[in-house]
Amino acid sequence: MAPSIDLSFLTVQVLSALRQAAFLFLISSGLTLIFGVLNILNFAHGALYMLGAYFIYALTLHLTGPAGFLIALLAAPLGVAVIAVAIEAGLLRRIYKQEEIYQLLLTYSLVLIIDDLAKIVFGPEYKSIPKPDAISGAVTIFGGTVPVYTLVVLVLAPMMALVLWYLLYKTRTGKIVRATSSDREMADALGINMSALFTLVFAFGAMLAGFAGALAGPARTVFPGVGTEVIIESFVVVVIGGLGNLWGALIGSILIGTLETVGIIVFPEFEMSLIYLLMVAILVVRPWGLFGRPLKVKALSDKNLSMEAQEISPVHYSIHPLIRLIPLVLLLIVPLVAGRFYQFLLTQILIASLVAVAFNLLLGTTGLLSFGQMAFYGVGAYTVGLLAMKAGFGTLPALLLSPVFAALAAGVIGFFCVRLSGVHFAMLTLAFGQLVYTIAFKWYGFTGGDNGMQGIPIRPLPGGIDIGSTKAMYYFALAVVGISIECLRRIRSSAFGSTLKAIRENNQRAAYLGVNVKLYQWTAFVIAGAFTGLAGGLYAIMEKAITPDIIHWTKSGEPVFMTIIGGIYTFAGPVVGAAVFVVLNSYLVAWTENWALVLGIILLVMVLMLPGGVVGFINEKARGALSKRGWVRKWVFSK
Amino acid sequence: MALLELDSVNTFYGRSHILFDVSLAVEKGEVVSLVGRNGAGKSTTFRSIIGLTPPESGEVRFKGEKVNGLRAFRICRKGIGFVPEDRRCFPDLTVRENLEVAARREKETTKPWSVERVYALFPRLQEREKNLGSQLSGGEQQMLTIARTLMTNPEVLLLDEPSEGLAPLVVSLLAEMILQIRNEGVTVVLAEQNLHFCAKVSDRAFVIDKGSVKFEGTMKELLANDEIKEKYLAV
Repeated sequence: MAPSIDLSFLTVQVLSALRQAAFLFLISSGLTLIFGVLNILNFAHGALYMLGAYFIYALTLHLTGPAGFLIALLAAPLGVAVIAVAIEAGLLRRIYKQEEIYQLLLTYSLVLIIDDLAKIVFGPEYKSIPKPDAISGAVTIFGGTVPVYTLVVLVLAPMMALVLWYLLYKTRTGKIVRATSSDREMADALGINMSALFTLVFAFGAMLAGFAGALAGPARTVFPGVGTEVIIESFVVVVIGGLGNLWGALIGSILIGTLETVGIIVFPEFEMSLIYLLMVAILVVRPWGLFGRPLKVKALSDKNLSMEAQEISPVHYSIHPLIRLIPLVLLLIVPLVAGRFYQFLLTQILIASLVAVAFNLLLGTTGLLSFGQMAFYGVGAYTVGLLAMKAGFGTLPALLLSPVFAALAAGVIGFFCVRLSGVHFAMLTLAFGQLVYTIAFKWYGFTGGDNGMQGIPIRPLPGGIDIGSTKAMYYFALAVVGISIECLRRIRSSAFGSTLKAIRENNQRAAYLGVNVKLYQWTAFVIAGAFTGLAGGLYAIMEKAITPDIIHWTKSGEPVFMTIIGGIYTFAGPVVGAAVFVVLNSYLVAWTENWALVLGIILLVMVLMLPGGVVGFINEKARGALSKRGWVRKWVFSK
Repeated sequence: MALLELDSVNTFYGRSHILFDVSLAVEKGEVVSLVGRNGAGKSTTFRSIIGLTPPESGEVRFKGEKVNGLRAFRICRKGIGFVPEDRRCFPDLTVRENLEVAARREKETTKPWSVERVYALFPRLQEREKNLGSQLSGGEQQMLTIARTLMTNPEVLLLDEPSEGLAPLVVSLLAEMILQIRNEGVTVVLAEQNLHFCAKVSDRAFVIDKGSVKFEGTMKELLANDEIKEKYLAV
């Protein structure tokens, strides 16, 4: 830093911090508003921001000059609002009665779909949006050079904030919105049409995101996937400020905007990590954010009770031990009949299965949706990579240490995360995942930064067993994954596992029975993290290379995808889901560039039509058919 | 024709059967009490009427028209007002805003409720109109929720345990207000455990226990019936 801060430097930095804060506020105010009223954490909010930027891009191709730019700036958010109405009325509305994780997953599937559609329509490259001459120059303020457009943003964004304040505090509809965010059912009973209000608020929140995109687009650039970066920042903002609280969004935006600007100057390498560290620091003191309140515990609310009625295929029996061995036997003989391609594919499936089964200990068994699970995968992978490359460890000792380090990471991260629940938990795990990601991505001296690590040496196992070949690697992975999955199965069916299920069903009642709910959730988090880390270690051995991409939050969507496809309330479901995912992935990538679109649509359809997953669905049908044949039941099912 | 009728209503929470063939009728202009112990099904009866927990079978009729199956806000707009037991003021809204949010203009009534009119009934609320819902005392919150529901211009008011947790002085104030509301032409249905309070305000009573109606009669008949009182109300 310069020894003396001069005024020009300070002016430039303050204005740039405020500009960043302005963008953040526009995005996160919409996010927090939607959450407040609809109780939905809109993952697609970043994608809506992106649409706003693309719309202004497309419009300014035809509309030029200051007037044209202004029209485009206003029309783009309206276009986003129209799309939002379609999303709310066509999709979201169908699943308001479902558990909140399904709503979250639906908006996540929209991220995949909208991002890929944008790629198809606008192309994969970065687009810059031309500004009219009148606002594209720079001016000198206190000796500092400031882009005119920054000043435009600093006028328009506060104006929008004032409009927002006026609408919420001075109009009847705004008062209704505030009333509904504190007590939805009461508002309903007072004659307020919730469906109409939900559509309105979702469209309005989306419009704010679209406006943010349209305003930020000309200052930044736009490309497919820009939303996945934007959404993380606004998650951090609302976590800091308190979810559902508009003032929190304002203060959070200013804090993060400032910190990012200061961070770039002072710690350019770890600028992104700083905002996560601030978030952690605030959450230590105030778990619900600066202005947030703990969500009211829904005791015997209608929603919880109706869930019991439409319980999704819980499985009350287990498969006979002998039948369980059949897949293992089949897997053992595969390399005798299948070539290297299939051996490699199966190794991938095995590793993915371990991730999915470990992850499902959290989601299906404990009822916690983690959106940062791949952080532990990354910790495991980097443990193997670093130990093998920098400390000369053998492959097996390095692999055995990967769950240990992953468990340590999970222990620390879990300590913060289990204090929250539901969407707060999902957001926090996501933010922590991104913290791990930014460390791996930026720390060139240790992790190799975005280049990752190549050429991880694979050393023979004790006894001189070489696992360098595809076939040997397959058998090695089969052994490790087989043992791990059996461990996880035993954990799930132990008394500990039953307690976790009780917590999922009703954590209040579990607490009344004397269960230390947080401790159980933390333990499950650590176990899931350890096994995910082990899978990451196997991955590093299989690929002999690591890049930080494996930790990015969009990767953390993959175990979610697998478990939902397979079925979260069954033990075998995630394995089936992992197989489907890996096969789809490897074939779709060969067949189309837009595999994310296909995955997104599959996830969307699953959430809407088959929330119990494929295995849950088969179970239900099978149970109906088999219950008529006693001898089948006796042999196939042990209970 | 009764103003509000329940005809063998059965209601479930998830898989648990809560109301068993509940039938009752309320005439226009009366104050009726629904008396029963904790968990007897009083609140569920109200939630079934207003549509927050719709019945699985049976019929709820308002002015002869079937209303069950409609969504809660539609039922409210027909003229049924619901005041929940735990008060539930909007905590982040001022007293005045709490009232404004509930105001309904589209319904044709001869004497619609306005903020001024409810202030005349509850002068205390006017004094506190700039305070947030979260800053009110228990009695004030109870007044506010009743006033707020009046703003929807109900013809029948469902009051769930209004006296719960209030000081005796406030309770007798509340009793007067209920009678005043009745004089304004609003029919009142009261769910209560406090038999003493019911005796002050209501004309008739239904005793409800384990989700079914065990007794129906005038308040006097109930007060005289020691067997019913002992068996279902533990007086």
